[in-house]
Amino acid sequence: MPGTFVLPTECLFAWTDKLVGAYDLYGPVAAKKNQTIFRKIEKAEDLKLDYDSTMTSPRSLIYPARQDLCTIDRKTHQHKTVTQVRAKKRIIFAIHPCDMHAISILDRTFLGDFKDFYYGELRRETLTVVLNCSKACAQGFCASMGTGPFLQLEQGFDLVLTAKSKNYLVECGSERGKRLVEKASGLRKARRNDLAEKEDIESRAKKTFAKGLETIGLPDLLMRNLDHPVYERTADRRCLGCTNCTMVCPTCYCYNVEDHTELELRTTTRERHWDSCQELNFARVHEGNFRSSRRARLRQFVTHKLATWLEQYGCFGCVGCGRCMTWCPTGIDLTEIAKEIQRDYEAGRAK
Amino acid sequence: MPRRAIIVQKINEIHDTFSLRLSLVDGQTFSCKPGQFNMLGIPGMGEAPFSFSSLDLQRGIFVHTIRSAGNVVGALMQLSEGDCIGLRGPYGNGWPLEKAKGKNVILIAGGIGMAPLRPLVYHILRNRQNFRQVYLLYGARTPADLLYKDEMKDWSRDITVLLSADEIDGGGPSGIHEGLVTTLFEYLDIPLWETITFTCGPPIMMKFVSAGLVLDGQNESDIYVSLERRMKCGIGHCGHCQIGPKYVCRDGPVFSLPDIKRFTDSLL
Repeated sequence: MPGTFVLPTECLFAWTDKLVGAYDLYGPVAAKKNQTIFRKIEKAEDLKLDYDSTMTSPRSLIYPARQDLCTIDRKTHQHKTVTQVRAKKRIIFAIHPCDMHAISILDRTFLGDFKDFYYGELRRETLTVVLNCSKACAQGFCASMGTGPFLQLEQGFDLVLTAKSKNYLVECGSERGKRLVEKASGLRKARRNDLAEKEDIESRAKKTFAKGLETIGLPDLLMRNLDHPVYERTADRRCLGCTNCTMVCPTCYCYNVEDHTELELRTTTRERHWDSCQELNFARVHEGNFRSSRRARLRQFVTHKLATWLEQYGCFGCVGCGRCMTWCPTGIDLTEIAKEIQRDYEAGRAK
Repeated sequence: MPRRAIIVQKINEIHDTFSLRLSLVDGQTFSCKPGQFNMLGIPGMGEAPFSFSSLDLQRGIFVHTIRSAGNVVGALMQLSEGDCIGLRGPYGNGWPLEKAKGKNVILIAGGIGMAPLRPLVYHILRNRQNFRQVYLLYGARTPADLLYKDEMKDWSRDITVLLSADEIDGGGPSGIHEGLVTTLFEYLDIPLWETITFTCGPPIMMKFVSAGLVLDGQNESDIYVSLERRMKCGIGHCGHCQIGPKYVCRDGPVFSLPDIKRFTDSLL
């Protein structure tokens, strides 16, 4: 770790204001209906640091919901990569640990054996400043997933802040993060008791969770019970196929690609946008649809997040942010689906 | 980013299926294996995956056999020799040829599923001494839906070719058995426990083919299936082709049967 510092609470906004000039800084701000959203901010006092989960995660800042990939000259078939020229680097400020973990999970998809150029560019030019959570949010179960309430990552982020009684503990995850925090005035090196206070806050925060999920043995259990009636019942009675769960999920990476041709028919732009496994045609080929039932599509979501993701990427695809259940119009809760199968197993009714 | 390929030749195979012989522009070399696939793209229509149906890589030529289905194919059909298309690939793992060395081989195809098996047939014919008895079992809906009929006469000098059609009106051409491709199993005269099977066809066909072979004594792990799925990227990013933890584009399209059968969505 390149360093650990302490920043007095009253110096935080002065530091943030300095950053706003040098970077495009995105942070949590208050929105309508008591919601918080990530937005580019002009001054530090717009930040709402004591926030519950945001409606959409900041994944769109690194993996935009819609983006152009290339333009194609229809006569010569020459392809030209669309690159965004940004004057300033960007900072995602006060991102919660669950969402930071989610970005590191997206890295495993897009920066694995095959590198995604567009994702890589945005990831590289975006700094991440994490803010540890001192309490659970309403639907959160990150403590069960090992992704919160405090950041569990060793790398892949730039700074992590912990709000203490009189100051912030600032831990650096990268050299560029260290250079960022060194711009702050009032900074001092952290002492042993600063770290002890952090541990206290973390253990207090862990006690505030109302929601949890036992993950030991869960992947195998789910894969043994692909035909469990909970999928059919939940899908047929409650799932509207609206795709909200996958749009708000911070780890969902599926995309669709579409071509758009301008009216003069000279140039085609190839763009991609987020897609959803909950969409009817997601797994359709000419002669059939491999997940034509809502039951199969709901099962795909649940088993991917809580089981098959591990085999693919060595981690769960769920960070326990609780957004899918919060924004499901009928309140479908993947932890409840998992728990029903766990209860049936204990009662000898599941495999 | 896609490369550009030129249509060297366009061949009408049967009533609804054509082949494109392609080479990369500017004489670039192209290397790939039987069983892999390319993403072919038309500006304005997008990209779709197509497996190789023949390879002549010394001359830089590779062939895709395509049945008319979908928008991208609709646009491909409009093109003529000398036209240009976008290409990404090759992707996927290809047929595990090394597993079949020194063994009996059964190739089982259904309909357009013959296309990805054809480069395998040519590989076997070129290296015939590396394999023991080789069968090709090929079924289609009607005799008119059978691909590469002229070539098969040559193939049958070195391997056993058996054909079937679900429906044969008025007797039909000789040498084609009426019924599903599984009706050809009775002509297999080899010990299945020393045999490797490669199959490609509709999911329902592969399901019954593999069940039948296992019933006749073949090990599940000696059966390899090539799967078709919706794909947008070909590199394990877009998510469409996932079956359980497997990406058909990156981990497949060829899977050993036990690897993929355990996932309900594989329909096998």
